[in-house]
Amino acid sequence: MTLTQAPIEPAAAAPGEAAAPRSDAELVLAARRGSAAAADELARRCRQPAYLLALQLLRDPDDALDVAQDALLRFFTHLDRVRPEDGVKPWLHAIVRNRSRDLLRRRRVRRIVRSLESDRPEDRIDPVDTAPGPHAGVERRELQERIWRALGELTEAQREILVLRDYQDLTYDEIATLLRIPLGTVMSRLHRARRALEERLAAAGEVPHA
Amino acid sequence: MPEPAHPAAAGVPRSEAPRPDAPCGRRFPEELLSGFLDGVLTQSDQQRVRLHLEDCPSCRAQVAELAGLREAALTTRFVLPADDQWDERPRTGWSRLARRTGFTLLVLWFLAVAAAGLWGLATGPASVLEKVMVLGGLAAAALLFASVLADRLRTLPGDRYRGVQK
Repeated sequence: MTLTQAPIEPAAAAPGEAAAPRSDAELVLAARRGSAAAADELARRCRQPAYLLALQLLRDPDDALDVAQDALLRFFTHLDRVRPEDGVKPWLHAIVRNRSRDLLRRRRVRRIVRSLESDRPEDRIDPVDTAPGPHAGVERRELQERIWRALGELTEAQREILVLRDYQDLTYDEIATLLRIPLGTVMSRLHRARRALEERLAAAGEVPHA
Repeated sequence: MPEPAHPAAAGVPRSEAPRPDAPCGRRFPEELLSGFLDGVLTQSDQQRVRLHLEDCPSCRAQVAELAGLREAALTTRFVLPADDQWDERPRTGWSRLARRTGFTLLVLWFLAVAAAGLWGLATGPASVLEKVMVLGGLAAAALLFASVLADRLRTLPGDRYRGVQK
């Protein structure tokens, strides 16, 4: 599911040797030249990352799927504007973020209130045990659910920067570019958001233990 | 403990004058703790945080707590949609172009009909039904437009994203 950044020019495969998986940049170039197979492969790679970011920002799977599909449509419509040397990820993130934001704005305008019932963490988080130890997985999942719940109580701006850094693992540089804010602001805004999250967890009597 | 700052992160500006807002209550710029955790501080700021953490248990605890939260968030796995949930929509942009063209033609058609209706009312005799149809349609369109505009204007002052490019 990781979007790779790799050299633009494909390395020629030796005769009889299986072709190595192509990088995103190679796929972009091939799709631009009209290769349907490259476009399909690129779409497959971009789907889930687009959906994940949309889900984390919007917290609604149906909205997230709509936004991700719309974002992919836009991505391929403007494929000629993608700079392969910069990677696909930043471009895709920017589209998903803007589409998510549009949707949030429309929700505000129409005063659509999401039911808390529809935002249950157990419906969003996959119970995959990623931690070592017999009980660690359960504890971790509980913490993840509490964090997800607390995240929903933050402001949109706080949630957005936390998602970008702590869920999407974007660098400060990438966040600054995406949000169009100075690098120093990323650090201060992120820290405020982390503190707000901590406070929400503490208020709910759910202070995490590192 | 977090990794040391990497060179690419040296662009993060040095913090400004210390503020007494650290969890310990000392004069220490608290956001440096997040920068330290993420390994993006300059070497001097990094050293400054290390020295502070050495004799500040509350900030040490906070860094550990933030690290725990980040680690939990980063390892969260989400339920993903199955492949068959994705639309096989055209990716050429053709549908988008068709939609835009259709919308433009619709607006042009509406303007032409409205102009013709108004011209008919102004230049010739019209029955009550014709007047109601023309003026009623125009009033409905104007009301719809005004309502959307009012919503936009109401949310504009607080809309931090109005400058964001689509």
